[in-house]
Amino acid sequence: MMTGLSTFITVLDGLLAGVGVTVLVTLASLTLGVILGFGLALLRQFGGLRAIHFLIDAYCEVMRNIPALTHLFILYFGLASIGFRLSAITAAILGLGLIGGAVTCDLFRSGFAALPNGQREAALAVGFTPLQAIFAILTPQALRIALPSLGNYTVQLLKDTSIVSAIAAPEIMFYARSMVTSSFQTTLIYATVAGLYLLLGLPLTQAIRFLESHYGRLKA
Amino acid sequence: MSDFIEPYVEYGREWLPLLLRAMATTALLSVSAFALSLVFGLLLALCRNARSRALRHFATLYVSVVRGVPLLAILFLLYFGLPGIGITFDAFTGAVLGLALAFAAQVAELFRAGLMAIPKGQREAAFAVGFTPAQSFTLIVLPQVVRVIVAPLIVTFVSLLKDSSLASLITVNELVLTGRAMATEYFLPLQIYLAVGLCYFLIAWPFSLLSRRLVPAAG
Repeated sequence: MMTGLSTFITVLDGLLAGVGVTVLVTLASLTLGVILGFGLALLRQFGGLRAIHFLIDAYCEVMRNIPALTHLFILYFGLASIGFRLSAITAAILGLGLIGGAVTCDLFRSGFAALPNGQREAALAVGFTPLQAIFAILTPQALRIALPSLGNYTVQLLKDTSIVSAIAAPEIMFYARSMVTSSFQTTLIYATVAGLYLLLGLPLTQAIRFLESHYGRLKA
Repeated sequence: MSDFIEPYVEYGREWLPLLLRAMATTALLSVSAFALSLVFGLLLALCRNARSRALRHFATLYVSVVRGVPLLAILFLLYFGLPGIGITFDAFTGAVLGLALAFAAQVAELFRAGLMAIPKGQREAAFAVGFTPAQSFTLIVLPQVVRVIVAPLIVTFVSLLKDSSLASLITVNELVLTGRAMATEYFLPLQIYLAVGLCYFLIAWPFSLLSRRLVPAAG
């Protein structure tokens, strides 16, 4: 029993080495994704040019219909073969962030689309410029509507960071896989991994619940 | 630019059959896992509405645990972990089972939402005209549920299809693993992984379009 406990502690200790990178990749790609997605949503929703609409739609389709793993391999192995060598962590953040841009673009867009036209018209009628109307009147309301789905996306993203172990970014799953090859505690190691992700997800879910209850859509 | 295109011209004939076979494996893997996840998901949704408290708790716990754990951890546990306690699968079965168990949680949530959207009167009316509970569920309630959730189910299928790429990490010879083998053989990772991406896109995109077309009809 004691040896069981001490093996568990060794395993946990080994996995904790990857928590920092997992959190880093999650937060960095979330930031990149949300900024990119918001920018794209604004351009798609309020920008005039047809060509830009087409480009943004094409970008979203390509990003969302191809697995993240394939995107990561293109960025990490593919680009390296033509001379652009990215570090594993950079490729991971860039890959998940670029996909996140397409995912959150859709979430922000449906936020904007849910607002009645009268909001914009009223803002223009009381003398806001079109840009002011977008940023001061429409954006805050659209963000509130998009908040729950952004929360779901964030929880999904935390789990998805585990696949960047495939390009050897040293996060939780990477340490798990290298530990498995040296010890043979496979079941214990992967069960601990599962528990660790659950634990990491808890504060995230709590934070999202807090945000939703404080800034979420106000009941009419 | 011509440097970039040239390999496709030169090796296209060799690559195409490899990629097509891998696409077939990916498609078979995704369809089997999705079919199984529909069964598991429906059972879970029924458990969540069951009279037995234990069943309800089990289903709630299952959904919240599985949704918090990465698919890769589930696949590794099934394929590398379970042999440690004497249960072994071949890689393909492990991948089908892992994907199905993971996506059952999402499918269960969809079925639950769908079941809530059907007015109680439908069931009561079915009873009133003499249907048994089983008949009223399969003939009256379920078809309406499916109509309500068909669009999000297709979206879920597209996610599953993309996530089937993780099966490459437990040695299922689907698109990504085939791509990796080709990349080491030909030393052309960029061209090969782009081709792999295109293969996924060709399967996934029609479903994405279909799901969007179905949304207004369901509402």
